[in-house]
Amino acid sequence: MFKSKRRRTSGAMDSKPAKKESIEAIIVDSGAYSIKAGLSSIKKPNVIPNCIMKAKSERKRLFLGNQINDCRDCSGLYFLLPCEKGYITKWDVQKPVWDYVFSHNVCPINEKPVIMTQPLFNFKSIQDCMDEIFFEEYEVPSMFRLNPTDLGRLKYIEDNNFTQDVPCIIVDTGYSFTNIIPYINGNKYLRGIRRLNVGGKLLTNHMKDIISYRQYNVMEETFVINQVKEDTCYVAKNILEELKVAAKSGSENTIVKNYVLPDFNNIRRGYIQDSSDLSRKEYEDNCQILRLNNERFIVPEILFHPSDIGMKCMGIAEAVVKSIYSCPNEYQEELCKHIILIGGNCNFPGFKERMYNELRSQLPHSWQVHVFQPKNPVSYNWEGGSSLLKVPDFKTYMVTKAEYEELGSTIIQQRFNTWMIDNSEIKEETREKEEILSYLDNLKDKSVFGKQEPGENVSKTDSDESDTNIQTSDGNMNNTGQNVSDENNQDSLCHNSETDIGSKLKKTQLKTNENATETLDEFYLEEEECEDLRNSVDLFPLGNGSYL
Amino acid sequence: MTISKSTLRGSNRIKENDKRRIVDETSRKRRHRKIMELLESDNYHDDPHADLVMSKKIPKFDDNLEHRNTRTKKKERTTEYYQFKYRKNFQQLVDEDRAEAELNKRVSYMDIQCEESPLPPRHFCAVCGFLGQYNCLSCGTRYCSIRCMDTHMDTRCLKWAA
Repeated sequence: MFKSKRRRTSGAMDSKPAKKESIEAIIVDSGAYSIKAGLSSIKKPNVIPNCIMKAKSERKRLFLGNQINDCRDCSGLYFLLPCEKGYITKWDVQKPVWDYVFSHNVCPINEKPVIMTQPLFNFKSIQDCMDEIFFEEYEVPSMFRLNPTDLGRLKYIEDNNFTQDVPCIIVDTGYSFTNIIPYINGNKYLRGIRRLNVGGKLLTNHMKDIISYRQYNVMEETFVINQVKEDTCYVAKNILEELKVAAKSGSENTIVKNYVLPDFNNIRRGYIQDSSDLSRKEYEDNCQILRLNNERFIVPEILFHPSDIGMKCMGIAEAVVKSIYSCPNEYQEELCKHIILIGGNCNFPGFKERMYNELRSQLPHSWQVHVFQPKNPVSYNWEGGSSLLKVPDFKTYMVTKAEYEELGSTIIQQRFNTWMIDNSEIKEETREKEEILSYLDNLKDKSVFGKQEPGENVSKTDSDESDTNIQTSDGNMNNTGQNVSDENNQDSLCHNSETDIGSKLKKTQLKTNENATETLDEFYLEEEECEDLRNSVDLFPLGNGSYL
Repeated sequence: MTISKSTLRGSNRIKENDKRRIVDETSRKRRHRKIMELLESDNYHDDPHADLVMSKKIPKFDDNLEHRNTRTKKKERTTEYYQFKYRKNFQQLVDEDRAEAELNKRVSYMDIQCEESPLPPRHFCAVCGFLGQYNCLSCGTRYCSIRCMDTHMDTRCLKWAA
């Protein structure tokens, strides 16, 4: 009885300092590999593996999240991961992990509002389930859900005292994929978003592969090799130079390192062997040692060149450049000044420098390029949660339990998904698709197109067009303006393709000179066609998308 | 005499045939796809507890939930409930999302996939990891030297992922 009393008082102590801030919420950045969770009042989140692990040595126990720290022998760990390519599909795994995270062990909900992250374009069925779990099972009083990079952007703006509409581009390179998301006027610019299917998981698995082929069979040691990757890998400045050094022998080779593998007896986590340190020598003799040479930089290189392992996909730096160029012209230069790198893969030493070098060499020299990488790229998004709480009237954006019960999942999800991607963005979405459709309709007779090219062409002309359009600082005004320009644009597109298809026809029209205004129109179009030669289908039958 | 000659000749022909079996383009692609799938897999080995028969004595997840006493008993649900209700796999989710996105004319998960790079791919030796200039005739794997070629022939070529 005495015991229970004590526990209660400690619980009360926990919630006391919370009341200082106006809104106190629990912020959860639920990633595919780790959950970052904690009260908004604390500085650093708890980072907990988002998985259930089974060890060979302890047969009657499952390890949830950070319980793995209690596991004595972490060899041959078997992972149960809730996510597939970053999206939750295995609820029988996710639910227990969440149960654990929101229990008294880590971060109890205690009737506090919850801010939760979800991946880009989270599927409806997943959102339904999240709603059900949080509102019905955990009975949270109110909740808000958004993409992790939204929080990262808010944090970036708050830390640097920028205005809310500063354009920035966020590179989020995580466990399952790498997303590149440009933000314009506080909204995601959907046309500029890119995804690489390269993440930490793929890198670890690849490393496992090559080590198993060259040295020991470590195919079952995902957990250990992930640590090896974290401890030894780095991003090379220039891979050819680095390969030359790695090919040397003896003391000239500064890259080769011996890594002492953990034996889970004396050594719990492996480390790079230091030949001058004799104190450890004793038990190192009985340990297995990995000799790592070019593996150290070849593995992270996949991020920059997925084609190294035969993936048909461009590298991370190329994709950033591509993303910048698919944004409206007037924002491109500004975007280069705010490139933010977040996610676990940023922890490779030299990642930021390499990104800067590659971007610098691929962007126009008159543009200033600035790459920002926070000190802790893993929890940066989580830290943005407290910035979100400072947004004026944020409370009104939250969805309460009563609203959920009254309105149901579908309506509240619209609210979650349209606050940050607000109305202008949705209009933009529809607009974009319409454009593509109409453009395709115009060119139906020509069968030279793949799926991507028309979009690229459209975006090109569109950004050219909007150059002439006067931009207002207000988001909404801006949007209507763009819509107007868009109509113009569509018109001109139609004409353009007409001229493309039937230039002969046009010439005959010109000769007949039926109507003065019409010929004027035609002349104008003729001029425009000259300007937009790059967009002409006849010149680049395969589309000019890849040459941008 | 004649018998041995004919068998020799015959065996030579068979030897010649066996020497270079060249894997065609489709099976090379299939191989590559298999490798990519392996790179996305969570585990390489089988569940070490698969042979365990769950008995009542083994603690279950629900055992450590006693703290949430505010929750009404009625609303408590098992993990199986969620897994059953939302059991769609990833491909189903993508397909559904795509159909819905097309209907509403919005950008979807599939649309943001990166395009292929215009730059030519680099080639690394599959054995040692340095730049590999040469192709294996049979399977197309890259290698850099005779030594690596021999290793490749002895260990991997045509031996894995048929």
